Amino acid sequence: MNQPATIINASLASAMRQKSTAVAERTPFDLVAEKARAGELDDDQIFRLLGRLWVIKRMMYYVYGGWAQGLSVNEYPPSIDYLLSKQIYDDSTHEMLFMDEILRRGYARSQPKVFAHEYGTFMQASRCGHLIFTLRALANYAHNLRISALNLGAKVIELTWLERFGGAFEDPALSRLFGGLVAETESHIQMGRFVVERFVHSDVDIDLAQRLAEIVRRDYLAVLDEVAAFVLRVDSKQSNEIPEIPKGLD
Amino acid sequence: MANQPDIIAIKIDHDKCTECRMCYVVCREINFNAVIIDTGPQHLHEIDMDRCVYPRCTVCLMYCPAEGSIVESESGRSLVPPAADAWTDEKRFPRRA
Repeated sequence: MNQPATIINASLASAMRQKSTAVAERTPFDLVAEKARAGELDDDQIFRLLGRLWVIKRMMYYVYGGWAQGLSVNEYPPSIDYLLSKQIYDDSTHEMLFMDEILRRGYARSQPKVFAHEYGTFMQASRCGHLIFTLRALANYAHNLRISALNLGAKVIELTWLERFGGAFEDPALSRLFGGLVAETESHIQMGRFVVERFVHSDVDIDLAQRLAEIVRRDYLAVLDEVAAFVLRVDSKQSNEIPEIPKGLD
Repeated sequence: MANQPDIIAIKIDHDKCTECRMCYVVCREINFNAVIIDTGPQHLHEIDMDRCVYPRCTVCLMYCPAEGSIVESESGRSLVPPAADAWTDEKRFPRRA
């Protein structure tokens, strides 16, 4: 017997989030959180962390720019356009907050200095570059699919480490910084849920949404591994390896 | 900066600010970085008086589109649009040498 579409899709959204939550149970950023909780991160390591997080956030402009170009007028209700705009604004806010903290701590004198600094430079041949180009390539898919892949994939993992970081840093500025990003990140996940529930209907879309989320999760985890290794000044296990292709996509 | 006697504290009136971020953008453009995003959940804009040099610089006032949204902290005087005395040549130097 056929179920109403809304129930099927609510179940899909829930399943996608649960899968990401399971993946987020243990990520390379937990090592960073543990060091932070123990008060063992020095200024250089905090600069490394803030610098790399700033790089990821500012590269989202590049991603969202491509996505917005692929949104046609009246393709979706205005609410969907609004939600993308809000997400762009929020990620822009997060980028600004990381930069504010870098400047406030005196790690650099100005934003242009951070652009030129090793810790703030975007490198194409990196896991971060890999993720950004993966997300950029999602512009080839319909908006419902790319939003569901990002917001019910990487954003769920991001939410988890943000919550952990918020409680891990004794420094009140850092605790407040990371904790203050939680509400907006949760709202992005809810946006993903909303899009899946309303606009992922066909069998093809349901299959694609899950496959794309799997890829985004994989590439995002690789970035966390790379950043954690960079912050902790150790060799990354994954940074020199080609990520395994999820089953069914090879 | 705040300890300098000629610096006047200013702040953002959140009842009038539209959060367009022009003040943030232009302040960062000239490397004063005095407009910051508050780390609280609402992420409102604030002016960091440790960095702000008003009335020597008035660039945020020049670009702010929302009347009354930047005010002098003590007097509450609106600086948007900027009064003539708020940006005389003697007082303003929006770009560092």
